[in-house]
Amino acid sequence: MTPTEAIYVYGVVRGGTAPDLFADVGGIDGRSPVRLVVADGTAAITSAVPLSEFDAEPLERNLKDSGWLERKVHAHNDVLAAAVGKTVVLPLRFGAIYTSEEHVREMLRASPELARRLERLDGLLEFGVKGVLDAAALRSRLADNGVDDAADTGGRAYMLQKQRERGIAEEMRAFAAACADASHERLSQAAEDATANPAQPSDVAGREMLLNGAYLVRAGREQQLGDAVRELEERFGADGVSYELTGPWPPYNFAGEEAES
Amino acid sequence: MSTPARRPGELLRNAGGGSGGQPAQLADVLERVLDKGIVIAGDIQVNLLDIELLTIRLRLLVASADKAREMGIDWWEGDPFLGRGQKNGELEDRLKRLEQAAGIDGDSRSDDSD
Repeated sequence: MTPTEAIYVYGVVRGGTAPDLFADVGGIDGRSPVRLVVADGTAAITSAVPLSEFDAEPLERNLKDSGWLERKVHAHNDVLAAAVGKTVVLPLRFGAIYTSEEHVREMLRASPELARRLERLDGLLEFGVKGVLDAAALRSRLADNGVDDAADTGGRAYMLQKQRERGIAEEMRAFAAACADASHERLSQAAEDATANPAQPSDVAGREMLLNGAYLVRAGREQQLGDAVRELEERFGADGVSYELTGPWPPYNFAGEEAES
Repeated sequence: MSTPARRPGELLRNAGGGSGGQPAQLADVLERVLDKGIVIAGDIQVNLLDIELLTIRLRLLVASADKAREMGIDWWEGDPFLGRGQKNGELEDRLKRLEQAAGIDGDSRSDDSD
Protein backbone atom coordinates (compact mmCIF):
# COMPACT_ATOMS: atom_id res chain seq x y z
CA MET A 1 0.00 0.00 0.00
CA THR A 2 1.25 3.46 -0.84
CA PRO A 3 1.01 6.29 1.69
CA THR A 4 -1.64 7.90 -0.52
CA GLU A 5 -4.21 5.33 0.60
CA ALA A 6 -5.99 4.29 3.79
CA ILE A 7 -8.21 1.30 4.67
CA TYR A 8 -11.95 1.79 5.08
CA VAL A 9 -13.77 -0.81 7.22
CA TYR A 10 -17.46 -1.55 6.49
CA GLY A 11 -18.15 -4.31 8.94
CA VAL A 12 -17.05 -7.62 10.39
CA VAL A 13 -17.76 -11.22 9.36
CA ARG A 14 -16.48 -14.61 10.52
CA GLY A 15 -12.86 -15.41 9.73
CA GLY A 16 -13.80 -18.24 7.37
CA THR A 17 -16.08 -16.16 5.14
CA ALA A 18 -15.42 -16.58 1.41
CA PRO A 19 -13.93 -13.32 0.02
CA ASP A 20 -15.75 -13.74 -3.31
CA LEU A 21 -18.98 -12.87 -1.50
CA PHE A 22 -18.00 -9.26 -2.22
CA ALA A 23 -16.61 -9.83 -5.73
CA ASP A 24 -19.56 -8.10 -7.42
CA VAL A 25 -19.62 -4.97 -5.29
CA GLY A 26 -17.26 -2.00 -5.60
CA GLY A 27 -15.52 -0.19 -2.76
CA ILE A 28 -16.66 3.14 -1.35
CA ASP A 29 -14.16 4.97 -3.60
CA GLY A 30 -15.96 3.57 -6.65
CA ARG A 31 -13.16 1.33 -7.92
CA SER A 32 -11.10 -0.50 -5.27
CA PRO A 33 -11.98 -4.16 -4.70
CA VAL A 34 -13.49 -5.24 -1.38
CA ARG A 35 -11.09 -7.43 0.62
CA LEU A 36 -11.25 -9.35 3.87
CA VAL A 37 -8.59 -8.70 6.52
CA VAL A 38 -8.55 -11.69 8.87
CA ALA A 39 -7.34 -12.03 12.47
CA ASP A 40 -8.32 -14.29 15.37
CA GLY A 41 -11.43 -15.87 13.85
CA THR A 42 -13.04 -12.65 12.58
CA ALA A 43 -12.54 -10.72 9.36
CA ALA A 44 -12.93 -7.03 8.59
CA ILE A 45 -14.64 -6.13 5.31
CA THR A 46 -12.34 -3.47 3.85
CA SER A 47 -11.30 -1.57 0.76
CA ALA A 48 -8.57 0.95 -0.01
CA VAL A 49 -9.59 4.62 -0.08
CA PRO A 50 -7.59 7.65 -1.25
CA LEU A 51 -6.34 9.90 1.55
CA SER A 52 -7.13 12.84 -0.70
CA GLU A 53 -10.80 12.03 -0.02
CA PHE A 54 -10.79 10.29 3.37
CA ASP A 55 -8.06 11.94 5.45
CA ALA A 56 -9.45 13.94 8.39
CA GLU A 57 -9.38 17.33 6.76
CA PRO A 58 -10.89 16.49 3.31
CA LEU A 59 -13.34 14.15 5.02
CA GLU A 60 -14.72 16.91 7.19
CA ARG A 61 -15.27 19.00 4.07
CA ASN A 62 -16.83 16.09 2.17
CA LEU A 63 -19.28 15.29 4.98
CA LYS A 64 -20.95 18.63 4.29
CA ASP A 65 -21.37 17.83 0.59
CA SER A 66 -24.83 16.29 0.22
CA GLY A 67 -24.06 14.49 -3.05
CA TRP A 68 -20.83 13.00 -1.72
CA LEU A 69 -22.43 11.84 1.50
CA GLU A 70 -25.39 10.27 -0.32
CA ARG A 71 -23.08 8.27 -2.63
CA LYS A 72 -20.78 7.11 0.17
CA VAL A 73 -23.56 6.12 2.53
CA HIS A 74 -25.23 4.08 -0.23
CA ALA A 75 -21.88 2.46 -1.12
CA HIS A 76 -21.26 1.56 2.54
CA ASN A 77 -24.67 -0.10 2.72
CA ASP A 78 -24.28 -1.86 -0.65
CA VAL A 79 -21.08 -3.59 0.46
CA LEU A 80 -22.71 -4.87 3.67
CA ALA A 81 -25.90 -5.84 1.82
CA ALA A 82 -23.86 -8.22 -0.35
CA ALA A 83 -23.46 -10.43 2.73
CA VAL A 84 -27.07 -10.29 3.93
CA GLY A 85 -28.83 -13.64 3.75
CA LYS A 86 -25.55 -15.39 2.90
CA THR A 87 -23.57 -15.02 6.08
CA VAL A 88 -23.84 -13.14 9.38
CA VAL A 89 -22.41 -9.62 9.23
CA LEU A 90 -21.82 -6.88 11.84
CA PRO A 91 -22.27 -3.42 10.31
CA LEU A 92 -19.94 -0.66 11.46
CA ARG A 93 -21.07 2.94 11.53
CA PHE A 94 -19.73 5.10 8.71
CA GLY A 95 -16.14 6.26 9.04
CA ALA A 96 -13.87 3.56 10.53
CA ILE A 97 -10.65 4.36 8.63
CA TYR A 98 -7.21 2.86 9.28
CA THR A 99 -3.76 3.71 7.99
CA SER A 100 -2.68 0.06 7.54
CA GLU A 101 -4.06 -3.49 7.37
CA GLU A 102 -1.97 -4.30 10.44
CA HIS A 103 -3.94 -1.70 12.41
CA VAL A 104 -7.17 -3.34 11.24
CA ARG A 105 -5.90 -6.71 12.51
CA GLU A 106 -4.95 -5.10 15.83
CA MET A 107 -8.49 -3.74 16.13
CA LEU A 108 -9.93 -7.23 15.50
CA ARG A 109 -7.60 -8.84 18.07
CA ALA A 110 -8.51 -6.17 20.63
CA SER A 111 -12.28 -6.76 20.08
CA PRO A 112 -13.18 -10.30 21.19
CA GLU A 113 -16.81 -9.18 21.66
CA LEU A 114 -17.21 -9.06 17.86
CA ALA A 115 -17.11 -12.87 17.61
CA ARG A 116 -19.78 -13.13 20.33
CA ARG A 117 -22.03 -10.64 18.53
CA LEU A 118 -21.63 -12.55 15.26
CA GLU A 119 -22.80 -15.76 16.94
CA ARG A 120 -25.74 -13.96 18.52
CA LEU A 121 -26.91 -12.58 15.16
CA ASP A 122 -26.37 -15.78 13.18
CA GLY A 123 -29.44 -16.64 11.10
CA LEU A 124 -31.22 -13.37 11.97
CA LEU A 125 -32.27 -10.60 9.57
CA GLU A 126 -33.21 -6.98 10.23
CA PHE A 127 -36.38 -5.53 8.74
CA GLY A 128 -37.78 -2.02 9.05
CA VAL A 129 -41.47 -1.20 9.44
CA LYS A 130 -42.79 2.34 9.31
CA GLY A 131 -46.32 3.20 10.27
CA VAL A 132 -47.56 6.37 8.61
CA LEU A 133 -50.75 8.24 9.52
CA ASP A 134 -52.62 10.30 6.95
CA ALA A 135 -53.36 12.99 9.51
CA ALA A 136 -55.61 15.01 7.18
CA ALA A 137 -57.83 11.99 6.51
CA LEU A 138 -58.19 11.12 10.19
CA ARG A 139 -58.86 14.76 11.13
CA SER A 140 -61.65 15.16 8.60
CA ARG A 141 -63.15 11.86 9.69
CA LEU A 142 -63.15 12.93 13.34
CA ALA A 143 -64.48 16.38 12.41
CA ASP A 144 -67.45 14.83 10.61
CA ASN A 145 -68.65 13.51 13.98
CA GLY A 146 -69.60 16.95 15.28
CA VAL A 147 -71.35 18.73 12.40
CA ASP A 148 -74.65 19.29 14.31
CA ASP A 149 -73.22 22.41 15.95
CA ALA A 150 -72.59 23.99 12.55
CA ALA A 151 -76.07 25.56 12.71
CA ASP A 152 -74.85 27.90 15.44
CA THR A 153 -73.61 31.33 14.41
CA GLY A 154 -71.39 34.10 15.72
CA GLY A 155 -69.31 33.93 18.88
CA ARG A 156 -70.87 30.78 20.20
CA ALA A 157 -70.16 28.91 16.98
CA TYR A 158 -66.59 30.14 17.06
CA MET A 159 -66.08 28.87 20.62
CA LEU A 160 -67.63 25.54 19.81
CA GLN A 161 -65.46 25.26 16.73
CA LYS A 162 -62.29 25.96 18.74
CA GLN A 163 -63.35 23.49 21.39
CA ARG A 164 -63.99 20.84 18.78
CA GLU A 165 -60.61 21.42 17.13
CA ARG A 166 -58.84 21.02 20.46
CA GLY A 167 -60.78 17.84 21.10
CA ILE A 168 -59.88 16.46 17.68
CA ALA A 169 -56.19 17.27 18.12
CA GLU A 170 -56.26 15.53 21.49
CA GLU A 171 -58.02 12.51 20.04
CA MET A 172 -55.49 12.30 17.21
CA ARG A 173 -52.53 12.40 19.58
CA ALA A 174 -54.08 9.66 21.67
CA PHE A 175 -54.85 7.56 18.61
CA ALA A 176 -51.31 7.96 17.19
CA ALA A 177 -49.72 6.93 20.48
CA ALA A 178 -52.04 3.94 20.98
CA CYS A 179 -51.64 2.81 17.36
CA ALA A 180 -47.84 3.09 17.56
CA ASP A 181 -47.76 1.00 20.74
CA ALA A 182 -50.14 -1.63 19.41
CA SER A 183 -48.28 -1.86 16.10
CA HIS A 184 -44.84 -2.20 17.69
CA GLU A 185 -46.14 -4.80 20.11
CA ARG A 186 -47.75 -6.88 17.36
CA LEU A 187 -44.65 -6.68 15.11
CA SER A 188 -42.38 -7.56 18.04
CA GLN A 189 -44.29 -10.82 18.45
CA ALA A 190 -42.93 -11.88 15.05
CA ALA A 191 -39.36 -10.90 15.95
CA GLU A 192 -36.51 -12.13 18.17
CA ASP A 193 -35.65 -8.55 19.05
CA ALA A 194 -37.19 -5.18 18.27
CA THR A 195 -36.52 -1.48 18.67
CA ALA A 196 -38.69 1.58 18.05
CA ASN A 197 -36.59 4.48 16.72
CA PRO A 198 -37.66 8.13 16.84
CA ALA A 199 -40.12 8.87 14.06
CA GLN A 200 -38.97 10.96 11.14
CA PRO A 201 -40.97 14.22 11.00
CA SER A 202 -44.23 14.64 9.13
CA ASP A 203 -44.10 15.82 5.54
CA VAL A 204 -45.95 18.63 3.80
CA ALA A 205 -48.77 16.30 2.79
CA GLY A 206 -49.62 15.83 6.48
CA ARG A 207 -48.41 12.26 6.58
CA GLU A 208 -47.20 11.71 10.10
CA MET A 209 -44.85 8.85 10.92
CA LEU A 210 -46.07 7.22 14.08
CA LEU A 211 -43.78 4.19 14.07
CA ASN A 212 -40.18 3.80 12.90
CA GLY A 213 -39.41 0.28 14.06
CA ALA A 214 -36.63 -2.23 13.40
CA TYR A 215 -37.24 -5.96 13.84
CA LEU A 216 -34.78 -8.82 14.06
CA VAL A 217 -36.37 -11.85 12.43
CA ARG A 218 -35.12 -15.41 12.10
CA ALA A 219 -34.40 -16.35 8.47
CA GLY A 220 -37.28 -18.43 7.16
CA ARG A 221 -39.83 -16.66 9.37
CA GLU A 222 -39.99 -13.43 7.36
CA GLN A 223 -43.57 -14.22 6.39
CA GLN A 224 -44.66 -13.96 10.03
CA LEU A 225 -43.57 -10.32 10.02
CA GLY A 226 -45.36 -9.85 6.68
CA ASP A 227 -48.49 -11.38 8.22
CA ALA A 228 -48.26 -9.01 11.19
CA VAL A 229 -48.03 -6.03 8.81
CA ARG A 230 -51.06 -7.25 6.85
CA GLU A 231 -53.02 -7.73 10.06
CA LEU A 232 -52.17 -4.17 11.18
CA GLU A 233 -53.18 -2.78 7.78
CA GLU A 234 -56.57 -4.42 8.19
CA ARG A 235 -56.94 -3.15 11.75
CA PHE A 236 -55.80 0.47 11.31
CA GLY A 237 -56.11 1.09 7.56
CA ALA A 238 -59.59 2.65 7.91
CA ASP A 239 -58.12 5.19 10.35
CA GLY A 240 -55.68 6.38 7.70
CA VAL A 241 -52.65 4.34 8.76
CA SER A 242 -50.42 2.59 6.21
CA TYR A 243 -47.32 0.48 6.76
CA GLU A 244 -44.08 0.21 4.86
CA LEU A 245 -41.87 -2.84 5.20
CA THR A 246 -38.20 -2.72 4.12
CA GLY A 247 -35.39 -5.23 4.25
CA PRO A 248 -33.65 -7.47 4.81
CA TRP A 249 -31.03 -5.03 6.06
CA PRO A 250 -27.66 -5.71 7.62
CA PRO A 251 -28.48 -5.72 11.35
CA TYR A 252 -27.49 -2.09 12.00
CA ASN A 253 -29.98 -1.72 14.83
CA PHE A 254 -28.94 -4.87 16.68
CA ALA A 255 -25.15 -5.06 16.32
CA GLY A 256 -24.12 -2.76 19.14
CA GLU A 257 -23.53 -3.08 22.86
CA GLU A 258 -26.89 -1.76 23.98
CA ALA A 259 -28.58 -4.63 22.13
CA GLU A 260 -26.54 -7.16 24.10
CA SER A 261 -28.15 -6.85 27.53
CA MET B 1 -51.88 8.19 -10.03
CA SER B 2 -52.60 6.67 -6.67
CA THR B 3 -50.16 4.35 -4.98
CA PRO B 4 -51.03 0.73 -5.66
CA ALA B 5 -51.90 -1.34 -2.62
CA ARG B 6 -48.77 -2.78 -1.07
CA ARG B 7 -48.47 -6.44 -0.43
CA PRO B 8 -46.00 -7.21 2.32
CA GLY B 9 -44.69 -10.32 0.59
CA GLU B 10 -43.77 -8.23 -2.42
CA LEU B 11 -41.94 -5.69 -0.32
CA LEU B 12 -40.01 -8.38 1.46
CA ARG B 13 -38.55 -9.38 -1.87
CA ASN B 14 -38.00 -5.96 -3.36
CA ALA B 15 -37.19 -3.53 -0.62
CA GLY B 16 -34.35 -1.84 1.02
CA GLY B 17 -31.13 -3.35 2.12
CA GLY B 18 -31.27 -6.54 0.11
CA SER B 19 -28.81 -7.31 -2.64
CA GLY B 20 -31.32 -7.33 -5.51
CA GLY B 21 -34.37 -5.27 -6.37
CA GLN B 22 -34.98 -1.59 -5.74
CA PRO B 23 -32.33 0.63 -4.21
CA ALA B 24 -32.86 1.42 -0.54
CA GLN B 25 -34.46 4.74 0.35
CA LEU B 26 -32.01 7.50 1.17
CA ALA B 27 -33.57 8.47 4.49
CA ASP B 28 -33.47 4.85 5.72
CA VAL B 29 -29.88 4.33 4.60
CA LEU B 30 -28.70 7.63 6.12
CA GLU B 31 -30.33 6.81 9.42
CA ARG B 32 -28.76 3.36 9.61
CA VAL B 33 -25.28 4.06 8.25
CA LEU B 34 -24.76 7.34 10.13
CA ASP B 35 -26.63 6.66 13.35
CA LYS B 36 -26.61 2.87 13.86
CA GLY B 37 -24.04 0.12 13.58
CA ILE B 38 -21.00 -0.48 15.75
CA VAL B 39 -18.90 2.55 16.54
CA ILE B 40 -15.17 1.78 16.27
CA ALA B 41 -12.64 4.60 16.28
CA GLY B 42 -10.13 4.14 13.46
CA ASP B 43 -6.80 5.87 12.91
CA ILE B 44 -8.34 8.82 11.13
CA GLN B 45 -10.56 10.95 13.30
CA VAL B 46 -14.01 11.39 11.81
CA ASN B 47 -15.87 14.28 13.34
CA LEU B 48 -18.81 12.30 14.69
CA LEU B 49 -20.32 15.46 16.08
CA ASP B 50 -20.89 16.63 12.52
CA ILE B 51 -22.37 13.29 11.60
CA GLU B 52 -24.67 13.31 14.60
CA LEU B 53 -25.80 16.81 13.80
CA LEU B 54 -26.42 15.76 10.21
CA THR B 55 -28.63 12.99 11.50
CA ILE B 56 -30.53 15.39 13.70
CA ARG B 57 -31.03 17.72 10.76
CA LEU B 58 -32.17 14.74 8.76
CA ARG B 59 -34.79 13.94 11.38
CA LEU B 60 -36.01 17.49 11.43
CA LEU B 61 -36.18 18.07 7.73
CA VAL B 62 -36.32 14.89 5.73
CA ALA B 63 -39.50 12.87 5.77
CA SER B 64 -38.68 10.72 2.77
CA ALA B 65 -36.06 10.22 0.10
CA ASP B 66 -38.30 11.85 -2.50
CA LYS B 67 -38.77 14.84 -0.28
CA ALA B 68 -35.01 15.06 0.24
CA ARG B 69 -34.40 15.06 -3.51
CA GLU B 70 -37.08 17.69 -3.99
CA MET B 71 -35.28 19.81 -1.45
CA GLY B 72 -31.92 19.23 -3.12
CA ILE B 73 -30.60 17.73 0.14
CA ASP B 74 -28.64 20.86 0.89
CA TRP B 75 -30.16 21.36 4.28
CA TRP B 76 -26.91 21.74 6.20
CA GLU B 77 -25.47 24.43 3.98
CA GLY B 78 -25.34 27.67 5.90
CA ASP B 79 -26.41 25.88 9.05
CA PRO B 80 -24.76 27.72 11.94
CA PHE B 81 -24.48 24.55 14.05
CA LEU B 82 -22.79 22.54 11.37
CA GLY B 83 -20.58 25.45 10.36
CA ARG B 84 -18.96 25.52 13.77
CA GLY B 85 -19.09 21.79 14.45
CA GLN B 86 -15.34 21.45 14.80
CA LYS B 87 -15.12 24.14 17.46
CA ASN B 88 -17.96 22.59 19.40
CA GLY B 89 -16.16 19.26 19.35
CA GLU B 90 -12.99 20.79 20.73
CA LEU B 91 -14.92 22.58 23.45
CA GLU B 92 -16.79 19.41 24.37
CA ASP B 93 -13.54 17.47 24.59
CA ARG B 94 -11.93 20.15 26.70
CA LEU B 95 -14.92 20.33 29.00
CA LYS B 96 -14.90 16.54 29.37
CA ARG B 97 -11.20 16.50 30.23
CA LEU B 98 -11.64 19.29 32.77
CA GLU B 99 -14.62 17.54 34.32
CA GLN B 100 -12.75 14.27 34.54
CA ALA B 101 -9.79 16.04 36.15
CA ALA B 102 -12.15 17.69 38.64
CA GLY B 103 -13.99 14.42 39.31
CA ILE B 104 -17.33 15.77 38.11
CA ASP B 105 -19.75 13.41 36.40
CA GLY B 106 -20.24 15.00 32.98
CA ASP B 107 -23.49 13.15 32.31
CA SER B 108 -25.40 14.82 35.14
CA ARG B 109 -24.70 18.18 33.54
CA SER B 110 -27.33 17.77 30.86
CA ASP B 111 -30.06 17.20 33.45
CA ASP B 112 -29.67 20.70 34.82
CA SER B 113 -31.68 22.38 32.09
CA ASP B 114 -34.81 24.17 33.23
